[in-house]
Formats: sequence, structure tokens, C-alpha cells
Amino acid sequence: MNARIAGWAGRLAGAAIAAMLATTALAQDAMLYGKSDPAAKSGGKLMVGSLTEPPALDPYHQGADARIRVTVLAYQGLFYEDASGQAVPLLAESYAMSADGLSYTFKLRRGVKFHTGQVMTAADVKYSYDYLRDSKNGSPGAGDLSTVDSIEAPDDHTVVFRLSRKNGLLPITLTHRYGGVIPKDYFATPDARTRLNEVSVGTGPFKLRQFRQNSVLVFEKFKDYWQAGLPHVDEVTFAFMPNSAAMVVAAQNRRIDLGIFTRPQDAEQLARVPGVRLVRTPSMNQKAIDLGSEHPALKDVRVRQAIALAVDKDAVMKASIAGYGQVIGTMVAGMQDRWGLPLAEVPNQKPDLDRARRLLAEAGHPNGLEIELTTIIGYDWMDAGAVTIADQLQRIGIKVNIRKIELGVWVRNFQSRQMGFTFNDWPSSPDPSLLFYRHFRAQPLGADFRNWNNARASELLDRGREESDYATRRGIYNEFQKIMAEEVPTIMMFSADLLTVERDRVRNHQQHPTGWYFGLVKAWLAE
Amino acid sequence: MLRFLASRLASSLLAAALSSLVVFALMRAVPGDIVAQMLGQSGDAAAASALRGFFGLDRPIHVQFAEWVGQVLQGDLGRSWYQGKRVSLLVAEAFLVTLEVALATLLLATLVGVPLGVLAGIMEGSRVDAAIQVFNLAGLSAPVFWVGLMLLVGASSILGWSPPFAYMPPSVDLADNIAILVLPVLSLAVLQAAAYSHFVRDCMTAELRREYVRAAIAKGLSPARVHFRHVLRNILIPLVTFMGLILIQILGGTVVIESLFSLPGLGRLILSGIQGRDYPVVQGALLFVVAIAIVVNLVVDLLYGLIDPRLRP
Repeated sequence: MNARIAGWAGRLAGAAIAAMLATTALAQDAMLYGKSDPAAKSGGKLMVGSLTEPPALDPYHQGADARIRVTVLAYQGLFYEDASGQAVPLLAESYAMSADGLSYTFKLRRGVKFHTGQVMTAADVKYSYDYLRDSKNGSPGAGDLSTVDSIEAPDDHTVVFRLSRKNGLLPITLTHRYGGVIPKDYFATPDARTRLNEVSVGTGPFKLRQFRQNSVLVFEKFKDYWQAGLPHVDEVTFAFMPNSAAMVVAAQNRRIDLGIFTRPQDAEQLARVPGVRLVRTPSMNQKAIDLGSEHPALKDVRVRQAIALAVDKDAVMKASIAGYGQVIGTMVAGMQDRWGLPLAEVPNQKPDLDRARRLLAEAGHPNGLEIELTTIIGYDWMDAGAVTIADQLQRIGIKVNIRKIELGVWVRNFQSRQMGFTFNDWPSSPDPSLLFYRHFRAQPLGADFRNWNNARASELLDRGREESDYATRRGIYNEFQKIMAEEVPTIMMFSADLLTVERDRVRNHQQHPTGWYFGLVKAWLAE
Repeated sequence: MLRFLASRLASSLLAAALSSLVVFALMRAVPGDIVAQMLGQSGDAAAASALRGFFGLDRPIHVQFAEWVGQVLQGDLGRSWYQGKRVSLLVAEAFLVTLEVALATLLLATLVGVPLGVLAGIMEGSRVDAAIQVFNLAGLSAPVFWVGLMLLVGASSILGWSPPFAYMPPSVDLADNIAILVLPVLSLAVLQAAAYSHFVRDCMTAELRREYVRAAIAKGLSPARVHFRHVLRNILIPLVTFMGLILIQILGGTVVIESLFSLPGLGRLILSGIQGRDYPVVQGALLFVVAIAIVVNLVVDLLYGLIDPRLRP
């Protein structure tokens, strides 16, 4: 009798757990791409004004943030990075990590179709991530998957990733920044890379209709999309705007329904325009000043610390983006709560000119020094910020010469680790490892763009990548941030808010803190 | 005539060859390449090496140049590294937009600038002449991008109207096409009309001081007949030369206006090609621009002969 009761109890408990898991999964599904709106209506065409234009739409080989912003609508990874930076299963339905942390088993969602009409299977997923991680294919995302040893597809709905080293952030790596699941052997055909500018082959809610360089990008609703009822709008057109003035005029005259301003203050004049609202969202981007140790003066940590102690971040933020943002310590605003070292504990954050002068003198510069600060043409916020910084550093005897260079030249300097003293605009990365690892891990595992070469920091970055427990990871990254703030290879200044202009007819648009256009999936039009 | 054409053709080919060499060398002298652009801040050495191999950038420059010249000689300008489309197709699409803007600007500038210049020349020293000279000075001084921006903001705040931002070819939607082109053409035409007017006025005043004009008036010819039958005819040659120069200037100058009004023209194609280090696009498009300049100059030379038989080659 007892055995029978125990059996029933066991079955009931199992059913309860299964029901709970199913409920959790359903709840998670409902939160994909933001909150659902029960009042949502389908139909209509949405016009988006965009100040950035993707050079191409290939999610495998094109690393520009402008590309990621739009291709998230057409391509999907196994996971979705939610607004708090957590990985939520997307094309994966569930996953399990082995006890030793060296293998992940992903159960795939069923009934998912590609824009080509084919049904997605495990073979497609294996092919996609094998292609992405193979450096010979030239993807900027290959380095993120360097711990993956092999990928197996034991059946049509299961994929197993085997790792050479533990990697706790694998799920967040399998999101949207690079790649996405595409049909098996897609890249085997000639011109496959550039054909992605004409036809999309992902599983996303929108499929590509037209991409005309220097003009427009049009996506249409993917009728066979696996999330019932989504997306709500039939068509999304991105019109590439040449400057903020044009975008303001377009918004005033209802030529666009929605647009994000790269300099938030440019949208101020729309605040009183009837029928238009401004929405301010904290972002995951960050504006920083980098200090490359290859520079003769900056290789001395005391000079870097002196600069950090002379900089008033709040004043720079006000000059650069009129205060539309948040001063940060060592973590972007959108991830401060989850991953940031509490601001009170971050060293070298408040201006202390006396200490800065002492440090400079100890470093052999009692009479100050002269240094060149690089800004990038087209990044308007840097200009006012650079002048402010020059003024602030002048107070401790550092004479700053501002030099504007073209983006291509800046990227070349950056990649060849010759960045010197420069402003930087970091793209969004929804996890501290993705944010820090390549930038600060010593070579050869990292790129260490600033020639910092800090052994303890590298060790912490390795541990942070391997660890999967949140509390332990947070502790690791807090220690890393403390070292970074103490040693100053970079000065993280502020995160600029995303200022979105929306027409009244646009409903339920939820701006993602990355600035990527996830929010268009659940947005709908009231007319 | 044939000898003239042959000699012009030979010098044109030499100019095109030299230009292509200069463009090819300059593009590679600019720091950074498409690989750096594609990888951005996630620069991975192995991926960078693979991409350099994919685009053929790992080969010696002279090999790359020889391959490109070989392609061009076979009428193939290559494919865009980003878009994958044939450069010839991209250039043709973009040129049609630029040509539409340029011809509309030329027409408007001619219709406004030439009569103004003639009027100012005839009425030299009068208030009308002074007013026209003020217009000329303002038009020549105002930067095109400023005029464009003022027109854009002015149309929005006064008329509550702004042009659509997605270019529409006239064959698809003529009304939208005109709406898109109104402001850019006006912006360019202000400068060019002022330039025309200034040039024509100078020619007219110089011509009106010549002996034959006084003789004709002394013989009893009406001033209108003298002005329009003789003087205007005599300034046609410099005017046609100027028109050719203006057309080339408009074609070259649309880059600013194309950027301001989101027009997918030739200037913007070249600019985005340079920014993205899309070498085939920049090389192909600039070669095309050189060819256009050569053809326009040739046509102008041939027109001389039609206007004045004494100048026939």
C-alpha cells in the first residue's frame, strides 16, 4: 500500500514538475521580444527612420552594429538576449549542461521554418554553428565559440555542443550578434554571402523584401513564422536618413513612424510636436576613453591614473549628449544592476586634482606632458567631449591636442593595437564576458587591444567565461572591474540613453537596450 | 574630323588609364581595408586572415591591379564586395539618379541664369543689374549644403511638408519622384543659376563694348535685334563651354546634396564605397566618372564646330 501511495505521489510530483516547466516555458515564450499586448491588431506598414545603414546584411561575416540592429528581425539564434541581458531559449526549447560543464544538450523547438520554406532540423543548427566557429570562414563571431570542440546532432531535434573548456556563457553566445540558424550547406553555393542582401534565409519573424543601398531596407511579415500571431505589422521599411536634422523634419511631417537618435539631444525639438512622443531607454552602449599602453607616456600606470583622476565624467557627458545618459563606473548602464561593481566601490572615479598632479610628478612629468586625443569623424558627440576633456586635463598640466580621424583609419589603429589615447564608442554586448574578454584578455586568447597585459585580469576573465553560477560569476567580474578601475586601461565614461521618437499610432514598441530592433516584432499600428 | 576624333580618343584612353592607376593606388594608400570594417572591434586575427584571402587582399598589389585592368578591358568592372551586385549595374542605377538631378538642375539653372545674365548685361549699371548681382553673389557664396538644409527646414516649418526619404524612380511613381527631387534640384540650381547669370553678364557686357555693336546700332538696327541676333549668338561658344563645365560640376557636386536628401546617386555610391573600402565599387565608379567627363568635353568640342564653322576640326 505504501509503495502504491509512494508511486502515485511520485507520478503526481513528476506531473506537477512537468506542468511547472511547461508553464515556465510558456511564460518565457510570452516574454520573447518583450511583453505582449492583448489589444494588439495586425496589419499596416511601419516606416522607421535610421541614421545608421548596414553595409551588408550577412550576419555571419559582417560585424557592424548597424547590421546587427536590423538582421535580428530575420535571423534567430538558439537563444534570445532579453532586456536584462539574460539568455532565454528561442530556437532552443530547453537545454541542460552536463555535470562537468563540458557539454550542453539543446532540445530544439519544433515546427520552425526557414524563409526558404524548409523545416529547421538539428543538422541545420549543427551546420550553422560549425560554420560560424571555423576561423577559416572569416566570421567575427568565431572567437566567441573557441571553446567549442565539436557539435553533434543525434536526432532531428537535439543538438549537443561539446567543449574543450567550461564555458558558462555559451547560451548568451548563441544569441543574435553573429550568425543565426540557416539551412544546412547554405554557404556551399557560389555568391551565397552577397545573396543575403537580396534574400534572407533565417527563421526570424520578418523576411527581406528589398535592400537598396543608400536608400531603403524593406522587411515583410514572414507568414510561416513559428510564433503564432507575430509579427503584428505587415511590413517594416527602414529609410536611411543622412543626418539628425532630416530625421527631425521627417518625424515632424509624419514621414516616419519611429526612429532612434544617435545624439539624444537632437530629438529635443520634437518634445512639443503633437502626435509624437519621445521615449528614453537606458542602453547597453558605452562611451569611453581608451589608454593604450603602447603609448610612451600611457604605459606608466601612474599617468593613466592621473588622467582618470582629472576627468569629470558628468561634465563630459553633459557636453557630449546634453545629459541624456548615465555616468558609469566600469559597467554599461543597462547591465549595472546585474553585473556592475557598486559605484561607491569603484576606485579612481571622482576628480582629485592634487593626487593626479602628484602621480604625474612621480611618473617623471612634474611639468605636465603633451598628448594627442583621437576622435572619429561622424561621431559628433566626441567633439564636444574632447574639448571638455582637454580643458579638464589642462588643469593638471596635460596639454591635449585633438585629432579627428576617419572611422576606417581608427579601426585599423584599434585592431593593430596602436590606439593610443582615444575616444571609443563601444557596441552593445549583453554579457560581461562578451563585453570584456576579447578587449582585455592577454594574447593569444584575447586581443588585448590596449596592450594592458594584466595576468590577474586575464585569469579572472578566463574564470568568468568558464563559470556558470551567477553569484560566482558576479564576484569574479566585480574583482575584474576593481582591477580595471585601478589600472585604467580604459575610462568608461557614460552610457547614452536611447532616445526613440514614436508616432502615436505606434503601440507596444519596447526599445531593447542594445539598440537592436527586437521591439518591432511586438509593435503594432493603431490605424 | 576622323583624325581629330582618333587623337581625342587616344588622349582620352590615356587619361582613363592614368586615372585608374591613381584611383587604384590611392584607395590602397588609405589606411584600413574592408576586413577591418567587417570585423570592427571584434577583430580576430584568424578571421581577418581568412577574409583577406577571400577578397584577394593577401596578393601583391601589382597582381591585384593587373587582374582588375584585365577585367575592365573585358568590360567587367567587377562586383561590389558588400552588395555582390555587378559594379556596372550599381553605377548605372546610381548614375540614372544623379543624371536626373543634374539635367533637371541644368535646365532650371539655364532657364533662370541665362535670362538674368542677359538682362543684367543689357542693363549694366541699373538697379535691375544691381539686384541681379546681389542674387549672383548670394547664390555663389551660399554653400549648397546650407541652402539644402534651409530649404528642408523651411519647407517643413512653413509648408508643413518634407520630401519622402525613399527614392522612387519616375517609372514607378512620377509624383513621388518629383516630390523627392524638388528640394535637391532647387538647392543646386540656386548656385548654378547664379554662376550662369554672372558668367553671361560678363560676356554680354564685354561683347556690347565691341565695335561691331556700335556700328550695328549706328546703322539703325534695333537694340533687341543687336542683342539677341548678334551679341547673344557671339557668346554662345563660351556659354556652351561653360554649360559643359557646369554639367561636370553638377555631376561631381551632387555628392553633398545626395547625402543631404538621401538620394542613392553616384556621389553617395562613391562616398559609401570609400567609407566601406569597397575597392571595386570606388574604382569602377570613378572610372565611369572620368569617362563621363571625357565624353562631355568631347561633345562640347564637337558643338563648337556646329555653332561656328570656322572652328570645325
